Amino acid sequence: MASEQDSTRRDDNDYRVNFFRPRPGFMRQKVRYTWILLILWAFFTFGFQFLLVLMQDTPAGDSLITNTAIFGFPLHYWFSGQFLIIWFILLCFLFNVFVDNLTKIYRKRN
Amino acid sequence: MEGFKLAPALLLVGTLGLSLLVGMASRTRKGEYYLVSGRSIGRMGIGAAIASNWMSAASFLGIAGIFYLQGYMAFAYVVGWTGGYVLLLILMATQLRRFGKYTAPEFVDARYDSPVARCVSAVITILITLIYCTAQYKGIALVFSWIFGLDYTPALFLGTAVVICYLVLSGTLGASRNQQFQYGILILSFLVPLMFIAKQLDYFWVFPQLGYGQALRDLANSPQGTSLAPWSSGTPYQWIALCFTLMVGTAGLPHVLSRFYTVPNLRDARWSVVWGIFFIGLLYWSAPVYATLARISEEINGATLNPEAARAMADIIVIKASEWAGLPSWLTGIISAGAIVAAFSTVTGLLITGAGAFSYDIYYRLINPAANAKKRIAVAKGATLVLALLVVALAVNPPWLIAQITAVAFALAGNTLFPVFLLGIWWDRTNKYGAIAGMATGLVITFCALLLGPSVPLIDTLLPATSSALLGAPLVILVIIVVSLLTPPPPEHIRRFLAEEVHGP
Repeated sequence: MASEQDSTRRDDNDYRVNFFRPRPGFMRQKVRYTWILLILWAFFTFGFQFLLVLMQDTPAGDSLITNTAIFGFPLHYWFSGQFLIIWFILLCFLFNVFVDNLTKIYRKRN
Repeated sequence: MEGFKLAPALLLVGTLGLSLLVGMASRTRKGEYYLVSGRSIGRMGIGAAIASNWMSAASFLGIAGIFYLQGYMAFAYVVGWTGGYVLLLILMATQLRRFGKYTAPEFVDARYDSPVARCVSAVITILITLIYCTAQYKGIALVFSWIFGLDYTPALFLGTAVVICYLVLSGTLGASRNQQFQYGILILSFLVPLMFIAKQLDYFWVFPQLGYGQALRDLANSPQGTSLAPWSSGTPYQWIALCFTLMVGTAGLPHVLSRFYTVPNLRDARWSVVWGIFFIGLLYWSAPVYATLARISEEINGATLNPEAARAMADIIVIKASEWAGLPSWLTGIISAGAIVAAFSTVTGLLITGAGAFSYDIYYRLINPAANAKKRIAVAKGATLVLALLVVALAVNPPWLIAQITAVAFALAGNTLFPVFLLGIWWDRTNKYGAIAGMATGLVITFCALLLGPSVPLIDTLLPATSSALLGAPLVILVIIVVSLLTPPPPEHIRRFLAEEVHGP
């Protein structure tokens, strides 16, 4: 799929694959989006649990957060049990929108 | 155990029969079905197929059981098993599809070009199958023992016999799995009885998933005073380690997205994952409600179980919640039939995967390369049977809950296959020596945690058997990187293929 485009400017390093040093163009853009989504994924999933630990007043984890009610739930139950699933659906949605755009841009150039 | 229950038994037989019939009907129209499949079932239909492929006894019975015993800890399962799809989608799914290899041994062979690595990954696949199936068998045995009024062990034997009959019957009748139909059965048999339970106990019944906050607060304020604190039955480290393990384990089990790889259009496949998580979410939003309402019923009936009895009951708490709320037996029977459908479909899918790994990747590739297709099929059938019987031995006296046993399978996948996939896709320098060393390290870590954990407190604290991938997966990644750098790079044609085909626009 990419061969025509690549063949015009191929050098020896053109086919190295490294998540931390992606090749310019499609791959670099896609890796950038992947980073953004990975950070949003980790921050909401694990960041919230760290926040619970930071705020806790008792070893069992009681804190301002757990005493707050939202939609009738203790905040931490609502966040981990309900909101995070919605958040994951949203992340996958965003990823698809990003990749759809990218593919459109880079396929046109061929 | 109480006696034989007629209505649930009839429902069970009816549901299994119906899914066989629908499977046969889907097959006879196969030609037509395939021609239009890309358009006709659509993204939502693929999503439903992904969800039905995923749902096992661990989702259907296990999560509610953990929630019943451990409260907030159960959300590590809910979050882990949904968040893993994000990881799979954004890091691996499209690239794996471009690679064109969808089972772990095939990918490993194509990427690393090594029969040894292929064989190791086939052994890992079989081990995952065995552990995963053990959890399903436990679920089947518990539900059978409830329906037929048997003790656990006879129910296990009966369940195994039925599983094998079902496998043979669907094989000889040529019934394919109609996954959309199956998802419909599963989700209805989970959600509808839940509404009845909520109504019976006077909670918001239209969407009990949104209304059980009230029930939680009632529990916290009751004389028993159930604690809602996040770390009341597990430390933050345990929560995070478990959640992370389940996520990387999901990403390391590529078969969970098998439908993703067979849809003609990649864009449709990507979008179907959004539906897939939503459909899985429907079940995961609801499972904690069962456990909460079961606790409420206990309070009302004034019959709180002692910890030991509660633990024995936890894995069928979904069924007990309905029974304790006083629902009619046929409604409770619907839940039990749904649980069996979930467990059966997972067991059959896994046994076929495991047997395939043996007959193709080990027998044909290593032992007898001259075997023809007929011989290979015979070996696969034999392997299915052997695996089905091996699992019985493991499931006779499992010390853990269904969700926990399943988590061990995820830890194994997260410690071995996940790093091999991740680096294989994202770092072209990864070679076969690194992959083999990494998988071996992952195996050692997983089984260290499993076997030495009970006797060595340090291992038990740092590497709980269900959650060993938080430390294990990064360590294995490190091993792969170091070993790969110390040994010659992989062949150029593989690296070029990776860059141009797999990561192209």
